[in-house]
Amino acid sequence: MTWKLIGVEFVVSVWTIVTLGADILNLPRRNRLWLLALAGLSLAAIVLALQPPESLGESFQDMFVVDGFGRYFKGLFLVIAAVVIVMTREFEDRLSAPLGAFYMLLFTALLGMLIVASVNDLLLLFVGLELITFSLYIMTAYLKTDPRSVEAGMKYLIIGSIASGFLIYGVALLYGFSGSTHFPSLHKAIVSGVIPLSAQAGFFFVLAGLGFKIAAVPFHLWVPDVYEGAPTPVVAFLSVGSKMAGIIALVRILYGVFLPLHGLWMDTLAILSAATMLYGNLAAIVQTNIKRLLGYSSIGHAGYLLMALSSGSSLGVSAVGYYLLAYLVSNLTVFLVIVAASKTIGGDHLEAYNGLSKRSPALAGALFLGLLSLAGVPPLAGFSGKLLILLAGAQAGQLWLVTIGALNVALSLYYYLMIVKRMYLGTPINPSVIRVHPVTHTTLILLVLGIFVLGIFQNPFLQQIQSAIENQQWTRPQFPNAEPP
Amino acid sequence: MGELLLFYLIAALMVAAALSVVGSRLPIYSVLSLLVVMGCQAVFFVMLHAYFVAAIQLLLYAGAVLVLFLFVIMLLQLSPEAVAYPRLLSRPAIGITAAFGLFLILRTVFFRSLAQEPPLADLSRPHSTVEAIAHALMTKYLLPFELTSLLILAALIGAVTLAKQQASDSRLKR
Repeated sequence: MTWKLIGVEFVVSVWTIVTLGADILNLPRRNRLWLLALAGLSLAAIVLALQPPESLGESFQDMFVVDGFGRYFKGLFLVIAAVVIVMTREFEDRLSAPLGAFYMLLFTALLGMLIVASVNDLLLLFVGLELITFSLYIMTAYLKTDPRSVEAGMKYLIIGSIASGFLIYGVALLYGFSGSTHFPSLHKAIVSGVIPLSAQAGFFFVLAGLGFKIAAVPFHLWVPDVYEGAPTPVVAFLSVGSKMAGIIALVRILYGVFLPLHGLWMDTLAILSAATMLYGNLAAIVQTNIKRLLGYSSIGHAGYLLMALSSGSSLGVSAVGYYLLAYLVSNLTVFLVIVAASKTIGGDHLEAYNGLSKRSPALAGALFLGLLSLAGVPPLAGFSGKLLILLAGAQAGQLWLVTIGALNVALSLYYYLMIVKRMYLGTPINPSVIRVHPVTHTTLILLVLGIFVLGIFQNPFLQQIQSAIENQQWTRPQFPNAEPP
Repeated sequence: MGELLLFYLIAALMVAAALSVVGSRLPIYSVLSLLVVMGCQAVFFVMLHAYFVAAIQLLLYAGAVLVLFLFVIMLLQLSPEAVAYPRLLSRPAIGITAAFGLFLILRTVFFRSLAQEPPLADLSRPHSTVEAIAHALMTKYLLPFELTSLLILAALIGAVTLAKQQASDSRLKR
């Protein structure tokens, strides 16, 4: 019973050892290692698909819960990891350090994300998040000869450690309040009695620790340098996977545990959301490095996700689920193009993208669609995600926030279109044609297809998400009348 | 009464040592002060009847981690002028204000909470703590425990990978 529940995590943790061992033994050649990694992911995906719905439940003293919500995100995490492996294949000649260890760290980070998707206990949440960030610290500094990469790793490590300190301090305070780190017991303690100030402080410390993971505004300082310096596949993994894990943890904590206290956090999140959106999108305008620009744009996207969370309704949670899916396909498209193009065009500076359409129409087209989808232009995936989030905000009566959100769509469209202008109207410095490997090409086609499908047929996906969150206890009492002390 | 007196004595020593960690000019003094902080913390654990945690505190932090710090500092051989002070002096006001503000907030939080008498976690188990910890690790917290081993593995492999000199690097240097 228990084995069925943690099957996916088990496969992934076995594969951390397999990839490492295969590299040491030199069994598949270095340039075939990505196939081994993909094989592990397919195995995990099969196990996930075979998990019969009736086996859903909790295990390990209720620490680990397998439900529709968690399974939906586990599927997305496996997709992210697969695309990141395709990117790594494209990037691997630039990674001088051992490749097996890189894939191993990719799998430990993935394991952390899968754990966070099923987390039902603060302690397990902490270990899961640390698995993600520890692996990413090292992967960020993987270009050892590039000082920017080392600097990025160092900054990420230091700021990340402070955030982890906040998180564990908050966990300790909440444990002192309720005598348990378990989500349901914590929920019971909150509903039953007076909430002392120390528990409230603990809650906000946990919120701060998670704010670092999703790059929300007061905790965003690491983002630009890390995005610029880290190897591009790692940046993609960080911006989609790590952010998604942080959002899932927020949903589970805010909606699963602290919903009775929604008066305490709704306004805080709304203000953070407005600050995050404005900061990210305004700072992105002046950037000259495409990865740095995407770093600021990812801060902006964290703002939208916070807006949906601050609504406190189940529509907000479905909007988050849909937005993350749309963000996944659009952002991975953009990063895959950057990985595929950067070697030939030489560097990540925006000038390098001048006239990309003449050198590779396919890459330019994919980047164009990915950027427009990130901005939220109608027939594409990002539009539906943004629409749902704005609807959730309007339903919660936060019209000022919705106005700021709509304003930010225009702001972000400006700097995304500046890149498009360079690609289609600029003259290339070097007009040579860029070759794209068939594997990369196929992945790009699939991702672009995803952008269109998600933008045009929202209903099947939305129904999937709604049925996934239907059985959560948080959807039943919509707005409990309990007021914070 | 005696216990309370001991607590205040140790706490005062701990705060003084902590100040010396951030304030001393030589990094070696900082590390040695940190050792005092860790020792005081171990005394607190003993006073809370957490003997095992106290022993671990001494063995791991005071024994292993700080010795590692000492090695690093001795190997780096930093001159006293090159460390700590220039950065500390450039923004002392901000740092001290922020730290003091955080202290005030936490003080308010704790005193208000104590006034409200929250349902405190059950800490009154002065029996064999090793057994209790082992039991908790192997039953209730089995999953986080096993995952921590993978976390340590990732950190270990990562540290080796990052620290290892590459074949091309070492050739360049020779």
